[in-house]
Amino acid sequence: MLRVAGVTKAYGEHPVLRGVDLDVAAGQILGLVGANGAGKTTLISIITGLRRCDGGSVAVGGVDALDHPKRVAGSLGLAPQELGIYPTLTARENLYDFARLAGMSRWAARTRTADVADLLDLTEQLGLRGDQLSGGQKRRLHTAMAILHRPRLLLLDEPTVGADVTSRAGILEIVRAMAAADTAVLYTTHYLTELEQLDAEIAVLDGGVVAVRGSCREVILRWGTASVALRFSGPAPELAGWTADGSRLAPSQPVADPGAAAAAALVALGPQVTRLVGVDVTRPSLESAYLAITGRAFSEEAESDLAA
Amino acid sequence: MISPRSLAVSRISGRLLLSDPAPMIVTIAMPLILAPFLVPAARAQLQLAGYATAGGGDQVIPGLAVLFAFLSTQLVGTLFFREHAWGTWDRLRASPASTADIVVGKVAPLYLAQLAQFGVLLTVGALLFGFRPDGSVAALAVVAAVFAAMLVAYAVMLVALCPTMDMALVLGNLGGMVMAGLGGALAPVSSLPQWAQAVAHISPAYWALDAMRSITLDHAGLPGVAGPVGILLLFGVGFGVVAAWRFRPAAVKIGTT
Repeated sequence: MLRVAGVTKAYGEHPVLRGVDLDVAAGQILGLVGANGAGKTTLISIITGLRRCDGGSVAVGGVDALDHPKRVAGSLGLAPQELGIYPTLTARENLYDFARLAGMSRWAARTRTADVADLLDLTEQLGLRGDQLSGGQKRRLHTAMAILHRPRLLLLDEPTVGADVTSRAGILEIVRAMAAADTAVLYTTHYLTELEQLDAEIAVLDGGVVAVRGSCREVILRWGTASVALRFSGPAPELAGWTADGSRLAPSQPVADPGAAAAAALVALGPQVTRLVGVDVTRPSLESAYLAITGRAFSEEAESDLAA
Repeated sequence: MISPRSLAVSRISGRLLLSDPAPMIVTIAMPLILAPFLVPAARAQLQLAGYATAGGGDQVIPGLAVLFAFLSTQLVGTLFFREHAWGTWDRLRASPASTADIVVGKVAPLYLAQLAQFGVLLTVGALLFGFRPDGSVAALAVVAAVFAAMLVAYAVMLVALCPTMDMALVLGNLGGMVMAGLGGALAPVSSLPQWAQAVAHISPAYWALDAMRSITLDHAGLPGVAGPVGILLLFGVGFGVVAAWRFRPAAVKIGTT
């Protein structure tokens, strides 16, 4: 459904995309992850015709999206990263008007507005203005506006930022339902657990290219690492093969079995173990795989996003 | 003809206008509040100019209509810039609507609002303030239609040229006041200082008021206002060309909510 080949893009002298190749089949969910500034939003903007690329090709349903952006626009559903709703219009007006803009008849737009509101648990809020909705409701409305016309390719750019637990679950449910209905979904997020919940295919955008691609399971098996850290009251003791950092003590090299490594360390520490206050064990996960691939502290990025 | 996509965008813009009608109400109410204060002086000026039976409303009502039509162009800027502030601009651009569909769809309700503003002011002016268009009412409608179209083109040009909403509003209001004042909206051009009379012709307001004055005071019909209307059309085309040349859909615009 979506085929991106060799897409390049630079902002002035700063290259962001250096030759991105990816494809998303009908019914597939592709989770596109990468650091802030990796080019995820730029890539989505290029696919939707909002930005021009410097080179490469983009095809949606076999149609050249770069040469004919308006021909493919009807097949696309976009929920941009920034919230995009009309705060002075009601939720119903937001939905209905975008359904009409997508070319639906009055009757179809009215029916689909009610259906999508029901899907995203917004029926009771249909009469409320955008600025009267809660943060999670706004986020759901924002997503609903992208799926009104049953797009064949759905582009969701960090759709759950600012959403509460219930709203997030609702959005993920809709993504699953859309994929089940044969929609191709390109989903960017910093919340990697969402991709595990969606059992999405993963593409890691790093250094301007898709550095790694595979299923969640494949990526975790190939790149995921386990870790263990011992926490002490006061400075951490010295132990061969382990590195002390303040009150924390962690293996100097990655360990295959964190439980066994911790047990061995506790035996070796002898009486100093009485100062032990906690043991942190991390199993192989998408997050640890991501960290291994990109070498960056993912959690710091997510925190900076939330702060922003 | 307006395309279905433009109509869909117009529906949104129309709703946005109606969801916050205060600016529209102000641009209609304010001239009606000001009119009674200005009518006596205008009557004296017209009588001095040789129109013995003219009422002050014949000068004041078209003048205020033109002045506040200029000021209401800020609604165009507001509608465009708020799309950026609300994050909906990219949604519109990613839709099947072309840039032309979006621009036409956004300004169409504003154009109708301008015409409605003219209609209300001239009608209430006739009922309450002695505005008597003795010439062709059809000609008056044509002048209003062309002038409103020119103003919309002027407003879109400001949107195209200004990176921020504040800049567009300041330039729109300042430019509107200067052009309206210079064109004779506040006092007849003949009563302005010599330097102002010399440059009055560069203001589209001058030609709009010249046409309205011909209809109101000199019984003109459509042929009598063809010249000024043609010049207004030229202004509109000029503004439109600059707007089309400078309008960048992907440009970053800073609006406020």
